[in-house]
Amino acid sequence: MSEDKEIKDEKFGKEGETTSVSIEEELLLPQDMLLSAGIHIGTRTKTKDIEQFIYRVRPDGLFVLDVKKTDERIRVAAKFLARFEPSKIASAAARLYAQEPVRKFCELTGAIPIAGRFIPGLLSNPLYPNRIEPDVLIVSDPRADSQAVREASSVGIPIVALCSTDNDFSGVDLLIPTNNKGRRALAVIYWLLTRQILRERGELPPDKDLPLTIEDFEAKFLREREGG
Amino acid sequence: MTERTEALTLVTCTSCGKPIPPGTEATKFLCPNCGEILIRRCAKCRAFGRPYKCPKCGFVGP
Repeated sequence: MSEDKEIKDEKFGKEGETTSVSIEEELLLPQDMLLSAGIHIGTRTKTKDIEQFIYRVRPDGLFVLDVKKTDERIRVAAKFLARFEPSKIASAAARLYAQEPVRKFCELTGAIPIAGRFIPGLLSNPLYPNRIEPDVLIVSDPRADSQAVREASSVGIPIVALCSTDNDFSGVDLLIPTNNKGRRALAVIYWLLTRQILRERGELPPDKDLPLTIEDFEAKFLREREGG
Repeated sequence: MTERTEALTLVTCTSCGKPIPPGTEATKFLCPNCGEILIRRCAKCRAFGRPYKCPKCGFVGP
């Protein structure tokens, strides 16, 4: 693919729409929706681990992730998570924009939400009264949720992580390469993951969508503040 | 008096192939893709983010 064509695809202009038709059929959501949410946008930093998921480097130095690989990994992660009992899945989100998507994800899938500060000892301290014992942990950002990753590693449970281009794979057992900083991107990723998990469990038909929209998954605290 | 010696078989790490000593921060889970093979990762491979490969479906993680 030439450089000009790549840029057109990324901006999903009129020319880009025609070129993306063949890929759209395979993706969980239309490519233009994924790109408009910015799930492919990385950072200006790149780690050696994530190189395999990088599609290209923009002239301004921003690393762009491969949407197709993100899509594949969402499917694999959903298959993996669907094998666990719903109440044995925990999802941690220290990032502000990830907290609302995680709450909605847990509401629909029956997982345990850990939104906000991760209390040290929540997984590993047997004397802590509110300790939880999940079988798998999902983290929104391995760096922001480093305490959760450390404790999950110490108790020996697998970790599924949303990783951007600046994350390394330390402690992670399965990763989903995506933008883990954008509000819309996090909403789309958690919405897709929820839908795919429910489909894998057989609770949602393959042609049906979730009762909640992607907008419901988005963090809304900015709008509330503006309104109030 | 006869002495009986029994060999202790340790499970091995899918990434590095080395035996995993008991009591370490290792993990085990079914292959995320096919769900048939049990993947075991030792603490060191997890910490370094070393790749693992499913011997059945060829899925490479993390």
